[in-house]
Amino acid sequence: MNKVLFFAHLRDAVGSEFLSLDASGKTVAELKADLAATYELPRMETVMTAINEEFASNDEVIGDGDEIAFIPPVSGG
Amino acid sequence: MNERYSRQILFPGIGKEGQAKISSKHVLIIGAGALGSGSSEILARAGVGKITIIDRDYVEASNLQRQQLYTEEDVVEKLPKAAAAEKRLRAINSDVEVRAIIGDATPELLEELAAGVDVMIDATDNFETRMAMNDVAQKYNLPWIYGACVGSFGMTFSIIPGKTPCLNCLLRAIPLQGMTCDTGGIISPTVQMVIAHQTAEALKMLAEDWEAVRTSFVSFDLWRNQYTSLKMSKAKFAGCLSCGEERTYPYLDHENMTKTTVLCGRDTVQIRPSAAGKISLERLAGQLSSLGYAVKGNPYLLSVEMEAERMVIFQDGRALIHGTKDLTHAKSIYQRILG
Repeated sequence: MNKVLFFAHLRDAVGSEFLSLDASGKTVAELKADLAATYELPRMETVMTAINEEFASNDEVIGDGDEIAFIPPVSGG
Repeated sequence: MNERYSRQILFPGIGKEGQAKISSKHVLIIGAGALGSGSSEILARAGVGKITIIDRDYVEASNLQRQQLYTEEDVVEKLPKAAAAEKRLRAINSDVEVRAIIGDATPELLEELAAGVDVMIDATDNFETRMAMNDVAQKYNLPWIYGACVGSFGMTFSIIPGKTPCLNCLLRAIPLQGMTCDTGGIISPTVQMVIAHQTAEALKMLAEDWEAVRTSFVSFDLWRNQYTSLKMSKAKFAGCLSCGEERTYPYLDHENMTKTTVLCGRDTVQIRPSAAGKISLERLAGQLSSLGYAVKGNPYLLSVEMEAERMVIFQDGRALIHGTKDLTHAKSIYQRILG
């Protein structure tokens, strides 16, 4: 199982701070695509991803027990 | 004026030597909104030798809640932010050489301004300018500090060419429809938290304490009590067009920029975003109407009544700004809403 954390407006879109789901074996891009379809998340391809608090690219494969975090880049300043 | 910086000199990370370095350095701040006014005030008080600050907007009432350099009088006079900032920064510290530029931070101008600069601070409100800053930083070997915020959420990362990943390594493309303070709102403490991180990093770099520079990417949410520090050691992308071996500095290229044109014979500016892509008009309409904008639309476009202008946004991100012929002003309005 994996804990998937959502930040900023993604948290509002998902309606929860985190989800528990099984994403092991999937790439980051595949998990993004699944979540984007289920929760209508906008522009997931440019959302930054961390696996176990370390930056992860879209082609990284998720392992069992990994904690995933999705951090959308914001532009305000 | 030794007394003036005595408390900062007492701080072991800086000391006399560090202070001497700080006072001989030049910082370029891109943007004089919330982040830029806070950073420039801290750095002026810290005694940085020279500060150049650039901004294209004028002071409005909705800025006063968080943009600490400005007053009600600036709003009444509709002073350009750069001019109001210059006046205030000089009043705060006459030792500091302040140069203020009223204008759009285009790639050409950024390249020109980069000469002789030691550190660049990101205080912009859009990714197009950030990506141009990122390319300029790589091309001229300039450290810079990314910072951004919306609502109670903020993030920051120190980028040192040749050492850390760059912004293009992390994003790979300009995010279309990023959240902005005009669509997601903003509270002042979020701004201050980003500024605190950015200016602490700037002081380390100016005092040349490179060992102390933070290597992690910080993001936080002050309302939801989250603080995350991401390790970035694997984030450098070998094929990056901004910092990789076959770099082309794509965001210094006119082709990749937002295009603005005054429509012939009309009081209207057309904006064409650099990256084509579908935006969610429905979501945007919801955000804007909850903020009190009068919004009308159909599946193809969205019309938003602004203070003096009307903006019509199409699904592909293209927009028409009615009621102005000023290209810079129109681009500013556009990026405030669409990031």
